[in-house]
Amino acid sequence: MRSHHILLALFAFSLIAPPVFAHAIGGSDAQFVRNTVGADPFPFLYLGAKHMVTGYDHLLFLLGVIFFLYRLKDVLLYVTLFSLGHSTTLILGVLFDFGVSAHLVDMVIGLSVSYKAFENLGGFRKIGFEIDNRLAVGGFGLVHGLGLATKLQDLGLNPDGLLPNLIAFNIGVEIGQLIALSLILVVMTLWRTTRSFGRFAIAANALLFLAGIVLAGEQLAGYFLAGDA
Amino acid sequence: MSEHDQPIAPVQLKVSGKTLALITGGGLVAGALIVLGAIMPAEYNVDPLGLGKLSGIARLWAPEEKTVDTNTAGGPLAREYETAPRTDVIEIPLTDFLGGAKGSELEYKVAMKQGATLIYEWEAVGAAKPDDIGFDFHGHTTPEPGQEMTVASYKASRGLSQKGSLTAPFDGIQGWQFSNFGDAPVVIRVKLTGFYELVPSGQEGNLAGIVANVPAAQARPDFQSNQR
Repeated sequence: MRSHHILLALFAFSLIAPPVFAHAIGGSDAQFVRNTVGADPFPFLYLGAKHMVTGYDHLLFLLGVIFFLYRLKDVLLYVTLFSLGHSTTLILGVLFDFGVSAHLVDMVIGLSVSYKAFENLGGFRKIGFEIDNRLAVGGFGLVHGLGLATKLQDLGLNPDGLLPNLIAFNIGVEIGQLIALSLILVVMTLWRTTRSFGRFAIAANALLFLAGIVLAGEQLAGYFLAGDA
Repeated sequence: MSEHDQPIAPVQLKVSGKTLALITGGGLVAGALIVLGAIMPAEYNVDPLGLGKLSGIARLWAPEEKTVDTNTAGGPLAREYETAPRTDVIEIPLTDFLGGAKGSELEYKVAMKQGATLIYEWEAVGAAKPDDIGFDFHGHTTPEPGQEMTVASYKASRGLSQKGSLTAPFDGIQGWQFSNFGDAPVVIRVKLTGFYELVPSGQEGNLAGIVANVPAAQARPDFQSNQR
């Protein structure tokens, strides 16, 4: 009965989440980025925050990460690690013109969601294979940043004012992350105090695992079939 | 609250090996099903399981379209072509509207190179009222899967005839979608002269399999019931 609901929810999720819009900068925003010459920090700050708040793959990963983090201290540690990784590859990737296929990066991001869910379920402990959580979160931070660097490069950024714009964008990403994180944290904290948390924690992580597989699969399909790399 | 130091739930869940296998195995299978059965047919027109066609999800897929302006195209008024001009008369039988979409409407296009010109004249024979026939005069490129399609719309209206000329804005197929809304069968007689190629039966532009230069009764061998 419950598995039906999960499937249905995932199915609906897959329909409302076209891969083209997953974590991409599109439409008039892309136009804006392309036409910008010189430092223009506030629009880039906004774009960074918007990118983060509307990037559902990103958000699912965050949800997985803070699922079992209780102390604010721990949350801050992991978020800092993630942000460090994210910022490093975002800024270095664009500055040194280094990037890989956005589809492949997004596939790894999808897998990172499944990875975290599997870990929350105690899967890695079960198979006797444990990676330091901090290392994993930092590593996935690097990958998430690389994905964004690739997408920004595709838009053809103007070299004039590139670094200030990138830094503004990156700060925007962190602001957006804090906004999203606060919301997730409030909901999680409330949920943890209820009885239903114990009952649904397994189902929620099973759902996260499935969502990660779907995200990874659709990006893999995009890599081979979309033809725009 | 003192709960800060006393987690009310374990930091990792304790799940039995069987449940874990069920969750990961089920997640992989369900995830693959969603990707192969729904996302790939809808987004990329690839349908390995056939589920996209079965569920109708595959119909969501459409190539990206780019529309060209067809009113202000520039170019020389006098043109020369390497190939010889051709002339064809195509008789297209359509059933009355009760014949359904399969019988009462179809699309007929010819292949043209960019800048090629043709002169056309078509009329609906057997139609009772001037608004019995709907037509959509248009053209588009024939892109590979996943590529963008360029489309041009010339005129979509109702009427029983049209005559004029067309210079193709791009390499592709150009022609008409005809629909019979009347209660009598009709024959659309299309006369073409110019620089173009007929589209072979069954290919994009002539999926109805219309044969050119034969009487209407023989022009649509793939659809027999209109000859009753």
